[in-house]
Amino acid sequence: MTDIPRDTPPPSNLPEAVAPPAPSDSLPAMQLAGLAKHFGQKVAVAGLDLTVPTGSFYGLVGPNGAGKTTTLSMATGLLRPDAGTARIHGVDVWTHPVEAKRLIGNLADGVRLFDRLTGEQLVTYTGMMFGLSRDEVGTRTADLLRIMDLTEAAGTPVVDYSAGMTKKVALACALVHAPRLLVLDEPFESVDPVSAANIEDILRGYTASGGTVIVSSHSMDLVQRMCDHVAVIAQGRLLASGTVDEVRGGQTLQDRFVELVGGRHHAEGPQWLRQS
Amino acid sequence: MVATVLRIRFRVLGNTLVRSPIQMVGFIFGVIGALWMLLLAGVGLFFVGTLDLDIARSVVTTAGALLTLGWVVGPIFAAGLDTTLDPAKLAPFPMTTRQMMVAITAGGLTGVPGITTAVGSLAVFLVWARYPVAAVAALVCVPLGVVICVVASRAVAALAAGIGGGRRTREIIGLVGFVLVIFASPIFVGITGAVVSASEQGVQLQALVTGLSWTPIAAAWAVPGDLAAGAWITGVLKLVIAAVTLAVLWWLWRRSLSASVVGPPARTATRRRSGSLGWFGVMPSNPVGATWARSLTSWTRDFRYLRQLLLIPFAPVLVLIYSRGDIDGPFFAASGLLVGFFAGILAYTDVSYDGTAFATVLQTGIRGRADRLGRMLGSATVSVPLVLLADVVTIAIAGKWELLPAVVGGSMGLTLVGLGVSAVSSALLVVPTPAPGDSPFKRVPGSTFTMFLAFFLCWALVAILALPAVIPAVLAIFAGATGAGWVSLGIGLVWGAVVFAGGVLIGGTRFDASAPRLLAQLRTFKGA
Repeated sequence: MTDIPRDTPPPSNLPEAVAPPAPSDSLPAMQLAGLAKHFGQKVAVAGLDLTVPTGSFYGLVGPNGAGKTTTLSMATGLLRPDAGTARIHGVDVWTHPVEAKRLIGNLADGVRLFDRLTGEQLVTYTGMMFGLSRDEVGTRTADLLRIMDLTEAAGTPVVDYSAGMTKKVALACALVHAPRLLVLDEPFESVDPVSAANIEDILRGYTASGGTVIVSSHSMDLVQRMCDHVAVIAQGRLLASGTVDEVRGGQTLQDRFVELVGGRHHAEGPQWLRQS
Repeated sequence: MVATVLRIRFRVLGNTLVRSPIQMVGFIFGVIGALWMLLLAGVGLFFVGTLDLDIARSVVTTAGALLTLGWVVGPIFAAGLDTTLDPAKLAPFPMTTRQMMVAITAGGLTGVPGITTAVGSLAVFLVWARYPVAAVAALVCVPLGVVICVVASRAVAALAAGIGGGRRTREIIGLVGFVLVIFASPIFVGITGAVVSASEQGVQLQALVTGLSWTPIAAAWAVPGDLAAGAWITGVLKLVIAAVTLAVLWWLWRRSLSASVVGPPARTATRRRSGSLGWFGVMPSNPVGATWARSLTSWTRDFRYLRQLLLIPFAPVLVLIYSRGDIDGPFFAASGLLVGFFAGILAYTDVSYDGTAFATVLQTGIRGRADRLGRMLGSATVSVPLVLLADVVTIAIAGKWELLPAVVGGSMGLTLVGLGVSAVSSALLVVPTPAPGDSPFKRVPGSTFTMFLAFFLCWALVAILALPAVIPAVLAIFAGATGAGWVSLGIGLVWGAVVFAGGVLIGGTRFDASAPRLLAQLRTFKGA
């Protein structure tokens, strides 16, 4: 597998606020080695190795319950692994959590936000947590709310946001400290097509300027279109990884995925469900 | 359909208990408590049955009234309503509203409190065993009384949750209801005290119970006694009152239920101007400041936090009621200490209220020390002024300004020590809590036992650690050693600050180690 990101257009309209700092080393953006986690009897992640090259737009795909969220939680310091290590730009997440987390912008799936805060307060809060100066927090918050089309709703409590708006404000929080690596768990779930296209532009500009993005998704079409690298996970194991073209090998990613993971039925559904 | 729903209910209960040992422990304690109460009720009512008819009538009527009140009030204090059979969950199934209500009522009757009530109310037959007429009437009236209990609790909860359209309105109504219900208990104690002293002054207790027996909460339980005494007309009238009560409750419940199922609570347009950052614009832009501002925003805007702050006025009122309105005695003057005792420990499981939003905190890689300090400053910003206010107000009412240093010293010592203990305890444990905006009536499974145990451990620790400040304060207040008041003030502030700082340091270290575990635990609560 090659570690060279595919050619990308020069940074376009990326706001100053979210441009990542220039990479200062040649270490991979994320390196997972032998990562393992079990819940009771159930093995969620079984010794997973994965290298995410700096500057790549990396897709993480797998069936439901494959261990994607668990893997990303362990890689970003939210869930302590049973075994294995996770390094972000060479920094071990579990021995130097504070330093590692500064490098990560994280959009976790299935967690609440502090939804009694307004959108503006929430992004400001996150910026303050990273110790940005007050002026810096103000500028970045305004920029981020603008590119997420949330300026109108800036003063509304997040609890009153729609699901898509909530995703967008969470993404704004993940970007506010200009991380070098963005880890996005299901970022496009319930986001409308226009916002999704806007977010895609932002992420492309971000990788073009040297940032790294990891997205987990169920949508193969989206991953095939957006990502340059992809990893397929099932039952807590890595089935394939590399550039998208390497992994799909001439098929569509959808077909290749089904081939790797298995479990496709070719049935018409039960008799009683047929309407005629 | 109802039977199916009930089967699901028990399957859910079974699965929950199997999945979580601590909930199993809580459940077992609940069952033991219920059996104990059953034993007391059975033995008590058996002996009452051997007494004079008038006494037996009074006891059964009063017990019935207390039982009904307990069903309405109990959910807030102790367990919360069992929401396994939530109307919102049942709505997708092809059931009529009536079927749904029958299913929920049946579910309420077959829970631990429901079974306890049903079995306990059978003990009423021990009383009426000697009066065949009453026993026959009880065959109708006891089930009626029990069903009124269940339906009343559901109707009140549905009303509290369903009135008004907007989230804010619902939350405010929930809060007001919560205040009323909280103060219902001390007011009830006060009334009981007044009744006892009144009866000593010649007013017949009997008359009051007779009055009570005409109210909706006691009518059903009074009918058999009336019949046994030969008062047929009053008996029949009370039976009518009970039946009408049930009908009205059913109607109210049905109305709010059909409204809430079809029209889920609307989104409101409460919003601030953009650029209005609240506390976030005030606090320094660093992790402590951010946490402080967020904590303070929760304390002033989140109703789960506001409900806790209601304990603060509760303490002096409680003291006043138990001392029978004696504002001149030392106990009322010392009630500021009780306020401090309550206030400092409020944040003992602060992280729980974050829910899974705690992931946001963890993602930022905040150091434990900064997190602890920010949270405790947030709590202190609310509790310290409130405690001081309570101190000054109670002292002013008591008119004993010479005791102010002692009360302030003792209460501040307790508050600061409480904050220090909370800084450690909230880094170690999380308990299931309602989600923000949930009805205060809603039960969070498994919360009761764990919460009480943790809470009392923390309280005990605070009581011990705060002794250096409390002892001189008590000497000053109760033994009249006024000089000890100033000693208490000095020790309270200095020692309190030491414990606070120590709590932040120790809690910070613990937090660094245990924060991912706390998040993992919070994630398991989410489904509950």
